[in-house]
Amino acid sequence: MISRQSLIVARWEFLRFFKWKQQLISYLLMLAVMGGVFAWVYLTDESRQQYRIAVPVSFAVQSTGQFEFQRPSIDLSQQLQQLRDHQTWHAVLAYQDERWVLHTGASSKWLPQLEQVLQNYFQLQRAGDFGLTDAQLNELQQPEPIERSFLDDDFKGEDTPEKMIAFAVLILLLIGLSTAFGQILMSITGEKQQRVTEQLYAILTPQQWMDGKVLGHSFSALKAMLTTTLVMLVFFVVVSLIAGDGLDLSWLNWWVLLWLIPFALAGLLLCACFMGAIAASIDDPNTSGKGVVMMVTWLPLLFTYLVIDSPSGWAMTLLSWLPLTSFAAMPVRMSMVEVPWWQLSLSLALLLATLYYMRRLGGRIFLRGMQMYGKEPSWGDIMRWALSRKAD
Amino acid sequence: MQLRIEAVTKEYATVTAVNQVSFQIQSGEIFALLGPNGAGKSSIIRMLVGMTKPDAGSISVSYQDQTFQHVPRRLLGYLPEDRGLYGDKSVEKNLLFLAQLHGLGKTEALSRMEHWLEVFELTERRHDDLKQLSKGNQQKVQLIAAVLHQPALVILDEPFSGLDPINQEKVVEFLKQLKQNGMTVILSAHQMAMVEKLADRMVLMAKGEVVLAGTLAEIRQQAQPEVQIQLSSKTPLPIDWLRSLDAVTAVELPQPEQAVLTLDQDAEVGPVLQQLLGRIEPEQIAMQKPDLHQLYLNAMSRHQRQTPQEAAA
Repeated sequence: MISRQSLIVARWEFLRFFKWKQQLISYLLMLAVMGGVFAWVYLTDESRQQYRIAVPVSFAVQSTGQFEFQRPSIDLSQQLQQLRDHQTWHAVLAYQDERWVLHTGASSKWLPQLEQVLQNYFQLQRAGDFGLTDAQLNELQQPEPIERSFLDDDFKGEDTPEKMIAFAVLILLLIGLSTAFGQILMSITGEKQQRVTEQLYAILTPQQWMDGKVLGHSFSALKAMLTTTLVMLVFFVVVSLIAGDGLDLSWLNWWVLLWLIPFALAGLLLCACFMGAIAASIDDPNTSGKGVVMMVTWLPLLFTYLVIDSPSGWAMTLLSWLPLTSFAAMPVRMSMVEVPWWQLSLSLALLLATLYYMRRLGGRIFLRGMQMYGKEPSWGDIMRWALSRKAD
Repeated sequence: MQLRIEAVTKEYATVTAVNQVSFQIQSGEIFALLGPNGAGKSSIIRMLVGMTKPDAGSISVSYQDQTFQHVPRRLLGYLPEDRGLYGDKSVEKNLLFLAQLHGLGKTEALSRMEHWLEVFELTERRHDDLKQLSKGNQQKVQLIAAVLHQPALVILDEPFSGLDPINQEKVVEFLKQLKQNGMTVILSAHQMAMVEKLADRMVLMAKGEVVLAGTLAEIRQQAQPEVQIQLSSKTPLPIDWLRSLDAVTAVELPQPEQAVLTLDQDAEVGPVLQQLLGRIEPEQIAMQKPDLHQLYLNAMSRHQRQTPQEAAA
């Protein structure tokens, strides 16, 4: 059970790192940056402009929305002079030395598009030479569609909305774990540096202290995940409205979402407990190399990502069962293939049992680390404490 | 509340921090643990708090018909030797957080906080971040944090360290007030003058062992055989010669023309006086009652002179 004192510590820890003004400013900045990027892309989009292209008089290419082909009667040197002076042409096409040459001022983004239009024209010309009609040429150019048929009835398909949700969960977990990583390391080692720890020990048990820390920083991580989700949703809504599509959330699979939440929450708490245990073993973060080990919590996300295209494979199945990786792998697996409810329940139960063990381990390491008075425990010590059942 | 420490031993990897230490602390008294650095005071305190356990011997804490192996957290107010609070939070937030952890409601905590801030003249600084306060003021905040919840027992490890004489006096008054409120106080300190004013009983420790124990009067009695002679002259005193005297165990020189000689407990005063008068023309010569500081120094010096066999005996 979580004690009242643990909740007080959790609240304290959460509020210590909750600077709402800075948070608001950072989200506004993020939105401004995203808006700026879109504005820049829009302003520099060369495809919205029409370009004037000079072609030989005999060249019967049709103008398009993007390219207006004209056949000037002046000679090539004059055309090139006009191109140089930016008076009339964006590009001049000429047949020189038995090859086609496209003259332009400098390389531009629209050049490949122009070349594609010209290639299509040349192909039409050649088709005419071979006696092919436009329809025949068009059919020749069409690729033969190959449909994928999956015999695994449980596989939901490749590009389902659920897969997008699974991706989003992985990204959100990464955001949450990154938040927790920085805060837990700073909070626990900072408390040691500020010498608050021994005073707190006289008020709280090491377990209450560790529970409070883990809860407080998990709340912070959740807050980061939720606000990121909100920002993404706001962005999605704005883009949908601008595009005139309206807001459609019918693609959301609520059953999958319902299972995602406990896995993500338990995983977050498990990682926070692990980070807390490691941070509690660090005496001085400036000289200790143990902080890096806290990043191990990111590995389940990476391993899952690497096998995301094979959701029924042995690797994803194994990851979805292992309690240290299931919080990342099971949501992805269940998003992409049907997983029986008993497998979900059992995997979640294993995860919760591991969470309970990790929570106890965190409390033990905090107590033992404190009893060493300024000496940092070795990995051997930590392993011994991990295997010991003694609480104090 | 009564604390009984019986034959307690605590060993770390290469040192015996506490060796067969026994004493008792009665309810409502101010009890002092005295000794130089490394004497074992903090080790005893950490065992009382429950942070570590004795390797041998026992600690028992009796309170309202219940007995515990260390002081229960709900009864304890603690100022550790290695101390600090959250520097980036205000005085009020720090104190409120700790008070709430002790189970106090916000209104009650604020009311008690106001009282103690007033006592320590910190009311004006309550909204300042702790790191903005001087070291002495930070220490006063920590003292308040230790007693806000009105514990039955307050353990203060070096409460005077880092304080100027005026604030040391304030802490003395603070501790007297705690006693008046019925709290039992255990403190460790180097400041003998402060302890002399405060402590009902005390133990003097050296190298993990108890050297002297009891009330100040009892300690004086235990150390009484050591006579002190206060000496002053118009000319600088021959310090080396004074130290070379067989009966003299310690010489203190407040000034070159003044000395306090401590005699060996078996020495006779008459021959020593004769020797002094044969060499020095004293302006003033007097026998004096040693204060706690002197008793402490004598006890330490005697302990250092002890052979291992004597120590074992």
